[in-house]
Amino acid sequence: MRSVSRTRRSLQWVGNTLLALMLVWTLVPFYWMIATSLKKDREIYGFEATLIPHQPTLANYARLFAKTPFILYLRNSTIIAVGTTIASLVFGTLGAYALARLRFPGRKVIARGLVFTYLVPPALLFIPLFAVMSTLRLVDTHQGLILTYLSFSVPFCTWLLMGYFRSVPLELEEAALVDGCTRLGSLVRVILPMSLPALAVVAFFAFTQSWNEFLYANVFVNSVEVRTVTTGLTLFIVEDVFFWGPMMAASFLSALPPLVIYLIFQRWVVKGLTLGAVKG
Amino acid sequence: MAIRAHDAVAGRDGIATVGSAQARPGRASLALRRERQLAYALLTPTLLVILFLVAYPFCAAIALSLQDKMVGSPGRWVGLANYLELFRDEVFLRTAWNSVVYTVVAVALKFVLGLTMALILDQERRFNNVFRTLLFVPWAVPVIIVALNWRWIFDDLSGFLNNFLITFHLSRDIISWLSDPSLAMGCVIAVVVWAGTPFYSMTFLAGLQAIPRELYEAAEIDGASIVQQFVYVTVPRLRTIFLTTVMLSTIWTATNLQFVFVLTRGGPASRTEIFPHLAYTTALGARRLGMGAAVSLVFFPVLAVLILLLTRRMLRPTDD
Repeated sequence: MRSVSRTRRSLQWVGNTLLALMLVWTLVPFYWMIATSLKKDREIYGFEATLIPHQPTLANYARLFAKTPFILYLRNSTIIAVGTTIASLVFGTLGAYALARLRFPGRKVIARGLVFTYLVPPALLFIPLFAVMSTLRLVDTHQGLILTYLSFSVPFCTWLLMGYFRSVPLELEEAALVDGCTRLGSLVRVILPMSLPALAVVAFFAFTQSWNEFLYANVFVNSVEVRTVTTGLTLFIVEDVFFWGPMMAASFLSALPPLVIYLIFQRWVVKGLTLGAVKG
Repeated sequence: MAIRAHDAVAGRDGIATVGSAQARPGRASLALRRERQLAYALLTPTLLVILFLVAYPFCAAIALSLQDKMVGSPGRWVGLANYLELFRDEVFLRTAWNSVVYTVVAVALKFVLGLTMALILDQERRFNNVFRTLLFVPWAVPVIIVALNWRWIFDDLSGFLNNFLITFHLSRDIISWLSDPSLAMGCVIAVVVWAGTPFYSMTFLAGLQAIPRELYEAAEIDGASIVQQFVYVTVPRLRTIFLTTVMLSTIWTATNLQFVFVLTRGGPASRTEIFPHLAYTTALGARRLGMGAAVSLVFFPVLAVLILLLTRRMLRPTDD
């Protein structure tokens, strides 16, 4: 007994040490990103390169907004991420309600198909999807990109909401139906108000997944007018060799929206994740 | 069918019947038909998305891989010629080997680090929730930005790593992290692990916290050591979470081209080329759509097994 508690105490010390190392490993890249974004070019390159910015400046941020279409990229990412989120919430809610509460032939097959669809990676689909998008003349449009993003966000949202809707007690809905509520009425008045945490998680995933998406955005968009943040940033490498200052400023700003939302929704998000969710 | 419907009337989960129709089967079946129509109506958008954006493109990918189609010109059917060419191609064979190494090493490291991180965060400590939030932050950052940031860290002349090593006299020469053939793959994997570990620790930590403390207390009274408690209490309880997490992460790790795209473009000399990136450069760089589709599909059988297993697993708690 005593030896167990002694081992536990020494494990606590091992844990504290490892924790410190992991914090350094996790946070140094962020430090470097922010430090670089605050430096003058003289401190970024060459013999005078520094680890800590000696004369912090916001010049890189100013350059980013004055000399690059970054603000346009931000706008496009926002339009596309918000559009995808709204569409997946609506489609996901309707589909999930049907799968969770209604009886019809093919229910299990559809549920299975949904999960399968969600797991098929975009790397297998982007080549033929490119042909689909060209035929439909949706290349280089916001709608086109939103449509392709629905291919991963709708199945996921539907699946997650389906599980949640099933956990809403049946009796509540029965009472509403007996009181003369229609099906859709009970969905809106009974189920949705009880599912707010799940809706928040779903919205979070739909938004961040579309904000962070790169492959489809890179393949289906060529024009600056529609280009999103993730593809826009990779172009900075080619466009200008000595561009790391503004690049890190842009990286920091582009990471902020998903980061802030993550900090707000943290607890729910982790719960949603453990259902088997997103991104590796 | 009608009998089954009637059974459902009696069944507890027969909300289909709440509408009143218990007395007359004629009305019950009308209600059922209505319900069926409503279900299909509600599912229409979702089904359209699945059919047109996943099922159709997937079949089209198989068809494409059997043609010699180039961008902008019609293809001819060539049977398995694309696949046969791949297996004679040295770059592809190297890519196949790289993809396996890359995926296995990255997933293994993420697993070990993720489990360590979860065990540490499960210990009692002040400010643990702050530490947890900080350690999970890489998960919330777009992968492209992670990759760009690390490319700058690895930069030959001014990056953080060389800067740091030289400032503190740990190295005298500049190290070309991403263009040295023996270092490049290691660097790419390090970045993948950095970005992917939080996902593992999140799911593992949730699993750890769901284990009742009494189990540990009971084991301790029985004289189990810390290691024995880990092996006989913790591991069995986490087994399903381990499996699900590893399978999901394997699919995502193996098919993510963003790290390679930003860090190395597959170089130096194809040392870091992996199949999703090769499919991308073949289809859009060399404009060989048919061949690109073939590259992306070669590994599908392996992924398909994982996807099928996961599909069953992800539906289990609700559908059984």
